[in-house]
Amino acid sequence: MKKVAIIGVGITPFRARYLDKTYFELAYDATKLALEDANKNGADITHKDLQSTMYGIYNELFERQFMPDIFINSYLGMNNKPGTRIASGGATGGYTVRMAYAEVASGLSDLCLCIGVEKCNDCYDEQTGTTTPEVLNSIAYSADMTYEYPMGMMAASSYVSMVNAHFEEFGNPTEEQMALVSVKNHGNAMNNPKAQSPMNITVEDVMNSRIICYPFKLLDCCLYSEASAALILATEQKVKELKVENPIWITGVGAANTDCFIGNREDMGRLYSNIYAAKVAYKMAGLEYDKIKSQIDLAELHDAFSGQEVISYEELGFVPFGGGGKWIESGGPLMDGELPCCPSGGLIGCGHAVGATGIMSTGEAALQLRRDAGKHQVKTIENGRAISHSIGGPGAAYAAIIVMENEEGMKK
Amino acid sequence: MSNEFQAHQIRDIIKINYKYTMGSQSKFFLELMNNKKILGTKCSKCGKIWMPPRINCSDCYVSAEWIEVKQTGIIEVSTIVWFTTSAFIKNIPYATGYIKLDGADTALLQGIFSENLVPSKIKKGKRVRAVFQKEREGKMTDFFFVPEDEYENWLNKPDYEGGD
Repeated sequence: MKKVAIIGVGITPFRARYLDKTYFELAYDATKLALEDANKNGADITHKDLQSTMYGIYNELFERQFMPDIFINSYLGMNNKPGTRIASGGATGGYTVRMAYAEVASGLSDLCLCIGVEKCNDCYDEQTGTTTPEVLNSIAYSADMTYEYPMGMMAASSYVSMVNAHFEEFGNPTEEQMALVSVKNHGNAMNNPKAQSPMNITVEDVMNSRIICYPFKLLDCCLYSEASAALILATEQKVKELKVENPIWITGVGAANTDCFIGNREDMGRLYSNIYAAKVAYKMAGLEYDKIKSQIDLAELHDAFSGQEVISYEELGFVPFGGGGKWIESGGPLMDGELPCCPSGGLIGCGHAVGATGIMSTGEAALQLRRDAGKHQVKTIENGRAISHSIGGPGAAYAAIIVMENEEGMKK
Repeated sequence: MSNEFQAHQIRDIIKINYKYTMGSQSKFFLELMNNKKILGTKCSKCGKIWMPPRINCSDCYVSAEWIEVKQTGIIEVSTIVWFTTSAFIKNIPYATGYIKLDGADTALLQGIFSENLVPSKIKKGKRVRAVFQKEREGKMTDFFFVPEDEYENWLNKPDYEGGD
């Protein structure tokens, strides 16, 4: 396989609603930003140089358009080139990066556009006169329609089942430990101008916010967002030919799907997909599951719900099982902690624009490794490595992990 | 003409009608509707009892046979929902949980009804029993679970009845 680098990153602001843009216009904006970033990074390319596109778009009902990728393909001026759409729930972004990596690593393309977009808040619930219940309903159709949707299953109740089961087994995460994640990620977003939910809040604020799905409260949950994020991936040969100044190499990709029926799982309180995806990605990058915390500089995690981030600390190998709650209490994942997690603000701070999210978090991690993240730059980039993490689908069945390294990391 | 941006929004809806076949799982829904029975399937090789049922064992790649499972079981995990989708918002608060029926190897997502809907009443390990709608349509909403100590009370309500 060929070596693959991220040479350009483009992320639009994450917003509650764009009244002035459609989904394909948002995708255009992110693509243009990624091309401009590649130009700034030394690569003299335009959209005409891109040989293929991987589209990460989760939900047709958000976009009010089935096969939305082909309409984006037209708007991006990508006609007469291959374009493939990936849809893997909340993990769509991470999975799309994995497939774009495969497109380039295999040699099918030397330059590939990896783009995610989602525009959910055109959904509208007439009974309440608000968007969210209808957004949630359009997501709920991703639950098993025969046995589980009719029970009123939705994203939060699905995730909370795993968190509650984890708590029963390990006594962790507590509600206060979950709240600490919310405080951290809303706080990190204060320094990210593209984030939808920057907030300076306390554990008490989270604990006092209204209950959504026991024990998740409003501030434990990410907000659904509208945005697009794009990466430009290149082979090593192209990196050299284009004289890219600061390529960020993708050195590990891992993905796994656990059983989408939570009731079929041996341990309801664990996401084995996270564990398998992480182990595959770390091994590919020559890193070790048990030592990963000291081998990377930061992690952009999939914190759709605060409790899930705590469990991810354990499943991704940062701390032993049962140790996630104590680790957030000790400040381990804070910006100045042992391993900063979600310096961008994550989904809780930035918002969740589903298909764009995992591409945003991968792009954010790449910018961190370039020391180009702006006000939310992690101070110490010494290993030259980072990971991004995406999960989603019914019971968070899908998981994808991407390992990235800068030139210094590659020499280690 | 003003250059100021003005958004134009339209009302729209995507609606599709179905006459959806439950395929081989039809038996589960017919037995539920007609006889108030809850069926699982048992793998002919490993003996695993699947709930929800599947007529092929995904572990062994051999057929699984229909069996009736008990209508009592334990809550594996549960939650109470206070904010939800447009389709269910009229039902809040409601509880759902994964119930392992006695004898089954996997757990089924179902509604848990209680006259006192608080987390402690429906936590892991609590025993529950199935209650059926008198008017059944061959859908998962034909039944739900209640805490065992509330079972008799639920049978006294006009819309519901017991199973076996």
